[in-house]
Amino acid sequence: MPSGNLSEQHISQLERQGCSADDWRLVTIASGSDLSRINDVHFSGTVSVGNPSGTRTVDGVELPCGLSHATIADCTIGNHVRIANVGSVVAGYLIEDGVVIQDVGSLSVAPGTPFGNGIEIEAINEGGGRGIRIISDLTSQAAYLQGALRHNPEFVKKLSSLIDTKVSAAKTEKGVIGKDARVLHCGSIQNVMIGPAAFIHGAQSLREGTIASCVEHPTEIGEGVQATSFIVAEGARIDNSVILDKVFVGQGVKMGKGFSAENSLFFANCEAFHGEAVAVFAGPYTVTHHKSTLLIAGMFSFYNAGSGTNQSNHMYKLGPVHQGLLERGCKTGSFSYLLLESHIPAFSVVIGKHFTNINIPNLPFSYIHEEQGVSKVIPGMNLFSVGTVRDGEKWPKRDNRKGPVKRDLIVFDVFSPYTVEKMRRGRDELLALSESVPKEKAFITYGGLQLNRLLLKKGAKYYSLAIKRYLNAKVTDRLKESLTRERDWKRAVASLIPSVALTHSAEWTDIAGLLMPRDRLGEIEQHVINGRIATYDQLLATFQSSYDQYPELEWRYLYDTFLKEYGIRPDGMTMDQALKAIDEWEQASSSLHGMILEDSKKEFASFARIGYGIDQQEQDRVKDFEAVRGTAETNGVVQKLANEGAAIPRQRAEFESLVASFSTT
Amino acid sequence: MTREEVAARVVGVTAQLFAMKPSDIKESDQFTVDLGADSLKSIELVAAYEDEFGLSVKEEEALKVQNVGDAIDFFHRLLK
Repeated sequence: MPSGNLSEQHISQLERQGCSADDWRLVTIASGSDLSRINDVHFSGTVSVGNPSGTRTVDGVELPCGLSHATIADCTIGNHVRIANVGSVVAGYLIEDGVVIQDVGSLSVAPGTPFGNGIEIEAINEGGGRGIRIISDLTSQAAYLQGALRHNPEFVKKLSSLIDTKVSAAKTEKGVIGKDARVLHCGSIQNVMIGPAAFIHGAQSLREGTIASCVEHPTEIGEGVQATSFIVAEGARIDNSVILDKVFVGQGVKMGKGFSAENSLFFANCEAFHGEAVAVFAGPYTVTHHKSTLLIAGMFSFYNAGSGTNQSNHMYKLGPVHQGLLERGCKTGSFSYLLLESHIPAFSVVIGKHFTNINIPNLPFSYIHEEQGVSKVIPGMNLFSVGTVRDGEKWPKRDNRKGPVKRDLIVFDVFSPYTVEKMRRGRDELLALSESVPKEKAFITYGGLQLNRLLLKKGAKYYSLAIKRYLNAKVTDRLKESLTRERDWKRAVASLIPSVALTHSAEWTDIAGLLMPRDRLGEIEQHVINGRIATYDQLLATFQSSYDQYPELEWRYLYDTFLKEYGIRPDGMTMDQALKAIDEWEQASSSLHGMILEDSKKEFASFARIGYGIDQQEQDRVKDFEAVRGTAETNGVVQKLANEGAAIPRQRAEFESLVASFSTT
Repeated sequence: MTREEVAARVVGVTAQLFAMKPSDIKESDQFTVDLGADSLKSIELVAAYEDEFGLSVKEEEALKVQNVGDAIDFFHRLLK
């Protein structure tokens, strides 16, 4: 049977099997196909059908490929495809090999649709003005540039033209349902691009969107999902009646349990259940799991929203103009409230309700809490929370992205030039205040919060410990590496000269997961304006280059900052100075480590046993607690901390021994 | 400084921070269970003791202190 020309005999057979066509001359079926596998199908327009041989598994049962009980319009269908029981029509698709479409209301594409590309998301500021246009390969960095950098109209215009090109390229005459994708038991799907191996089951309504997917990490859209104007990236899983309206969902994101979002973006490995998001830029690892949690008009990353978390400002007079920034690593406790605008520093914890505009970017790792209606801050307290340690360790391990391309570039380090430089500023500000605030004054107001005078020196001390630990650990580590390679002290030390230059090495920024010097971001801005970055792919390549260079860029910061803090150039360091550095590291590490260990032990203190061993004697209460929670001596986290603490003097001794080996050569 | 002198000042600072009468504070009082100190209050308490005695203590040691009597002994040792 020649492809493209069904014989009268074939047409007769198909008609006997309940098939019909607007014009059989526009219908082609791969030669040698078993036509008995095509039943009760109406062909409309130009339709090409591959070989329907083989089987596909549907709901756990192996069923034959072929076409049945469907109207198919203007489609190109690959080999080994099963299409069955389509309520209305499958129209305008290139359906690749191995696809299954069964029990679907309708699946159609209008020519020239952009599949969600170019939709503008009004994130970060609920009143608009920070529109981010989404595209199928949007990264958190590219979104950040669009949303956060609005100061330079020329840059905004040029960046927009790069996005325009991508949007134009996304418009096609036909949609694609990628190889081995499955679309089962769905309602209406209109103008949606579906990637390879995607699994869409039970979705209620999907309109104007892209579901990117790959065989290494299939994307899943499940029961009851309603999505309009959206792009979903590879490996995302959205199910259980999620409602999305103008939303970007990044790689490895999980959404479910009735979560709803509008005008929001969720980047790599976010998790969103139960609650609601409006005008949110959820950078990588933003997590909201609970009911009554409203995230609104803000930018977050590595963020954990407790139940009932809410941010808003409905005291506005010119419309909902507020926006908030919670830097990476923040947590908001149950029923916490933040009045926006607010700027919460990195790795801080918010407890209670705050009806003041908070602005304390230079006090990272702080506790912001409420006492009898007064908002207070304890600077640096989260430095010795065991939770911070656990978070820092868990994020890299929970990178859920399995596809070949990890779009969002993420530097996971808790202690980095970004956070350490803020601590340096915070330390200096607190020390200056401690000198100037009179002893009679119990409190001062700082960034909208009440700060106990006694905590000025305390906070500075915590920051000093963390700064010392970071700088001396990194410098001695690098020196150790160098000493292991070189057998000559001077040559080993000389190799510590940084390989990259930065005009302002202390100025860093967090581009939605990617930590980079502000100099580099400035260069990107200039290159977009002057056309050296002329395509979106070149923009991504520039970010990738900065990501790849992070260790060297960080070293530049360390080199310069070590010099500022200690007056010592690492590449001219003497043995005595090296020994002093390891001593500083050991003292700071032991101290912080001891505090973290004590914090972790609180989880096993007497108050932690409240509610255990109900109506039993104390001995049995303890036994009940230990059966459920274990003891400080058996807990894995506590023991790991204890072992790490024990290793600190050993690491110092090893370093000293290495240095000593040079003094004898 | 004698232990009694240290005790009077520790109790005085503690009473002020928890808005209690000094006479209501016992050496056996645990900061968490009896006085209701959470982690946040503990930091303020250590800072207040440091201010009172003009000392800077090792936090990791201070955080091990569980009750008022331990705090008195801790500062008495440091001030010897």
